[in-house]
Amino acid sequence: MASLVRSWIPLLILQSFLVAVAFGSKEAEQFSEALLLKPLPDRKVLAHFHFENRAPPSNSHGRHHHLFPKAISQLVQKFRVKEMELSFTQGRWNHEHWGGFDPLSSMNAKPVGVELWAVFDVPQSQVDTSWKNLTHALSGLFCASINFLESSTSYAAPTWGFGTNSDKLRYGSLPREAVCTENLTPWLKLLPCRDKDGISALMNRPSVYRGFYHSQRLHLSTVESGQEGLGSGIVLEQTLTVVLQPETTSVETNMQPSWSLSSLFGRKVVGSCVLAKSSNVYLQLEGRLGHESKNVDTEIEAHKLWKNADFDLSLKPDRVLRESSGLLFIFDIDKSSDSEPFDLGLNWKLPSKWSCQQAPLQASRFLMGSGNERGAIAILLKATESQEKLPGRELTDGRCTIKANIFQIFPWYIKVYYHTLQIFVDQQQKTDSEVLKKINVSPSTDKVSSGMLEMMLELPCEVKSAAISIEYDKGFLHIDEYPPDANQGFDIPSALISFPSHHASLDFQEELSKSPLLSSFKEKSLVRSYTEVLLVPLTTPDFSMPYNVITITCTIFALYFGSLLNVLRRRIGEEERFLKSQAGKKTGGVKQLLLRLTAKIRGRPIEAPSSESPAAESSFLSTKLIFKIILIAGAAAAWQYFSTDK
Amino acid sequence: MEETSDRLNPTTDTSGVTPEFDPKTMRSTKPGLKRLFITTSVLFSFLLGVPFLWKSVEIYRSPLPFHDIDSLSDQIESTPLRFPCNLHAVFVGFESKDPDNLRSQIQDGINQLTHQSSQCGSCNVSISVTVQNLAEQCLETLAHNPSTCSYRCGVIIRNEFGVGLDDTVDESLNDVFSGCSENSGKTYSVVVVNKENANGEDEVIKAVVGKRRHAWVVGSGLEERYGDIVARVSEIFVKVFMNGGRDEESIHGEFMPVGSDGKIVLSFSLLNSNPRDWVYDWDFQRIDDALLAPVTKALAPIANISVESQVLYHTPKSSFSSWDEKLQSYIFRTSDLPFFVNSNEWHLDTSAGASGRSKILQFVVYIPSGKECPLLLQLPNGEISKTNGFISPMWGGVIVWNPESCDKDSESPIRNTISPQDLEQIVEIFLGQFRQLFGFKSEAIYTSGLGTYKILPSERGFTEWELDVLSRKHTCFNLHSCSTTLGSLSRLVRSLPRMIIKDEIGEQVKYSLKAAKLAQSNASLGGYSSSASSSREARSLAENAFFHPSIMSVSYFSYEHCFAVYSPFFLPVVGHIVLAAFREWKRYRQEKAKYLTWLTRKKTA
Repeated sequence: MASLVRSWIPLLILQSFLVAVAFGSKEAEQFSEALLLKPLPDRKVLAHFHFENRAPPSNSHGRHHHLFPKAISQLVQKFRVKEMELSFTQGRWNHEHWGGFDPLSSMNAKPVGVELWAVFDVPQSQVDTSWKNLTHALSGLFCASINFLESSTSYAAPTWGFGTNSDKLRYGSLPREAVCTENLTPWLKLLPCRDKDGISALMNRPSVYRGFYHSQRLHLSTVESGQEGLGSGIVLEQTLTVVLQPETTSVETNMQPSWSLSSLFGRKVVGSCVLAKSSNVYLQLEGRLGHESKNVDTEIEAHKLWKNADFDLSLKPDRVLRESSGLLFIFDIDKSSDSEPFDLGLNWKLPSKWSCQQAPLQASRFLMGSGNERGAIAILLKATESQEKLPGRELTDGRCTIKANIFQIFPWYIKVYYHTLQIFVDQQQKTDSEVLKKINVSPSTDKVSSGMLEMMLELPCEVKSAAISIEYDKGFLHIDEYPPDANQGFDIPSALISFPSHHASLDFQEELSKSPLLSSFKEKSLVRSYTEVLLVPLTTPDFSMPYNVITITCTIFALYFGSLLNVLRRRIGEEERFLKSQAGKKTGGVKQLLLRLTAKIRGRPIEAPSSESPAAESSFLSTKLIFKIILIAGAAAAWQYFSTDK
Repeated sequence: MEETSDRLNPTTDTSGVTPEFDPKTMRSTKPGLKRLFITTSVLFSFLLGVPFLWKSVEIYRSPLPFHDIDSLSDQIESTPLRFPCNLHAVFVGFESKDPDNLRSQIQDGINQLTHQSSQCGSCNVSISVTVQNLAEQCLETLAHNPSTCSYRCGVIIRNEFGVGLDDTVDESLNDVFSGCSENSGKTYSVVVVNKENANGEDEVIKAVVGKRRHAWVVGSGLEERYGDIVARVSEIFVKVFMNGGRDEESIHGEFMPVGSDGKIVLSFSLLNSNPRDWVYDWDFQRIDDALLAPVTKALAPIANISVESQVLYHTPKSSFSSWDEKLQSYIFRTSDLPFFVNSNEWHLDTSAGASGRSKILQFVVYIPSGKECPLLLQLPNGEISKTNGFISPMWGGVIVWNPESCDKDSESPIRNTISPQDLEQIVEIFLGQFRQLFGFKSEAIYTSGLGTYKILPSERGFTEWELDVLSRKHTCFNLHSCSTTLGSLSRLVRSLPRMIIKDEIGEQVKYSLKAAKLAQSNASLGGYSSSASSSREARSLAENAFFHPSIMSVSYFSYEHCFAVYSPFFLPVVGHIVLAAFREWKRYRQEKAKYLTWLTRKKTA
């Protein structure tokens, strides 16, 4: 029996290998595009572009490509990137009105500026080098100053606070990076249709950048093939999230504005990108389920879903999906053409109101204290309304608790005193052991590395607010280290608040197609939110100060040196004789006074004036004066000559 | 203090000692030296400090061997690099020819063709001639070079030679000359076979250049026309083996598309100008493995070649084309070519894999959209280009590939794959373009005033003698570029006195010079590959030194800065010291004069 099995195994392996090879060669690079539109409760519209490009496992990555961008593949090959996310964001995500507990916000609400994190597949000792090289490559690829993340003072290696647990993870963010169209264009270049065709043709730059929030994201992950000798596959996910304000003519303030794609973007979709495997437009309406009947079997019922008393859609959806908190209309844009462009519109007829699902706690961060010496950072977590309804509560020792991870990077010039960490729950100070479950601190080293604070709080479920404060001293930078606009202040990157026991996912009642957008929504994603960026004013020196200091010290030294030399070569006896002879000659009022004064200073009695003529004395004085003036003039002339010459 | 008290004495005692003593003009004691000594010593210590100060504000400049750099560039300019080459001519079926006589005639012919000019990368020829008569006896010239091939007499049989395919003849010749030693340069052989005049009429002379380093001329009645034959032998050697069959005098160094780190990246792009009409894809992996791998392997001694490919969409060309009724196609002319490449829309992306200073050659296959299909290239003489492609030196090449039918059959575009036959054709055109980028001809026939030569193409893209030409030119080009780079570096360094030069740069320059010297000596000894590799090293080191990140770090510690920092201290202090020293000296002289007058007065008294 055993021998039989043994002889079978190689055969099976061979067979599976052959099947895999045959399958692998057939598998091609796939691209798909999708657009999700979602009216927001505060009369804005969210548009979420989603592009996914998959390269199957192959050995020719970085060399031969059909749809997948060669540049990205070469990046992955060269720096051995296992997973990476890069986001460019402008504006702040409004967690209260735009949602905080859905996959869209947990994945696409990003901190202002640039955020980059990457996990590498290299030995531990090479991770930092790979990171540095990667930042340079990306900064060239995306026309951004990502290379500033190269310096070890600007990135950190989170252990568990970030959500992805890996010791080869590096995280950095640049809050001050201005994001604009020069970053979007290279991002679009990675798409096979760029913005020439398909859904991405909607990206009219003025309308995109006029929005309240826009975040372009690039996420790539490698998929291990699991086969010996075969490289890994790459999944590249590119998303652009925009929050726009539709122009409204309606005077009623509680009426939701009606919009269409052409009014939002100023463009229409004239067909899908021919290279995309699927190209869909989704319209998500939240809080709509209560009004509708449960079954949508009949044609009339289905029709009612998209043309009813509340609103109507300008196009008939191809499918309607129900989800726990709302409806999802699916449109296929393959049918549209030049003569019949796809221009989805939503027309509201009645005022309607709904609210978004929110994260259990809403986070904000601010600075305390005044002056240029010290201050404190406080993070305030406030309970939201929807907190009670949310799943993910845990019972520890019979108490209901909410877990919250806080991850914060401090630049080295913010010298944080970790012992001053104070935690208040409902305005009452708590000891560390009561609420702090885990904490990981890596202090900063001056000019070498930034500090990092990771902590896990366990708050009781009925918490109304929780506050964390920590004090810091402001450091002094070397004169070379100040940025050009030092007086503007220095940014502290956003803190990341994540809720490890809460996961957001959209749960569709019907099992659905393999749309990459929907399947990414279906995956459970960690609920997270970023706080504001803080602006800390540091003491900025007068940058001409070094020269002032040099000049003053040098002058003092010169005075000291000169007087010392004079003392050394002074002939006191001779002077006394001279004074004596003068005193005998004349007793002018002022001169006498002066003589007396000098004598007093020297501590010698006034001697009788000698018989020398005062005329000679005064002429001597005047020649001395003239000589001095000439000397100074000469020096000034020399200075003028040298300074103008060069 | 003591001195002052000393000096007080004479004034008090004067009345008693000398009645004629005048305290205003004389003094009785020697003037003291203490103060003069103090002030001068301070002055001198300041003066001594000046060199130290100068040293402290000096910036670090690694000493560069300027003299060696100049001598290298002078040497390369004045005496071009020449490689030893051996020519072995075998005359079969010649009755009454003296090999030494033939040798000198061939030498004359070669000298005439090269015009005695010695360009860089040419050959230092040594000729040996063997004559095999009808009785299969051989006469040889005395070997000047002991390592030349020895031809075993009688191996080539007069009337059986040259029968069959040229490829097999080439192989058989390779066997004949297999005993060649290659220590000192390459040996090229030309076999001239005088056949029996079987038909009685004058047969056409057939001249073939093989894939290796052999050529043969076959004909009948050659003995009578031997002057012509000798001219052809020397022409084969000079025009083909030495210059690679190029028309121009010499391909200038700039046209060597190899990066300074010795790498070439061949980036192939398939451009679908409008994917809404049709989408074409290719299986480039197979092409790479089957057709390009031998080429890259053959060129390995000259450059390290890597291949990548991509497919791009929505990439219209930026020139216009016009409809031609007669040809039933769209036409673009050679005058449009400068505008064909659309650098806005063709993001042929420089490869992240090609780091540093590798050379990237773009090869583009352009598939026209439905609006401009079929698209043909019209040559200036009105004919349609056979390859439908063009090259741009140092950039790459473009091939326009028209789909089989230009009708859009359906609304939705179909995804097609270019068939393997079409792909092979494309690769053939590409190989021709690639050869052109290296300066070779893409035709299999070389025509000169004396007749035509058939050139056997190699399946590896480049024949062995072409590779020899390339490696000679490459060595030469590398050395030339190394010397110009070092020359401009030395000029730059000499023109900027406040530029910091790190030791690293100095070392790179030193090693670059060393490698260049090594390449020169290897070349004169005939080591093709060793001289190519050391010349490549010399060039890349020179470029590394020139493009060193620290090279432009001109010191911020400028003269103005120096002046501003030091003048507040040194100007007043130096003023004090100089004045004090001057006054002390003046006073000393005055006092000394007083003392001297006193002395004279005393003497006279």
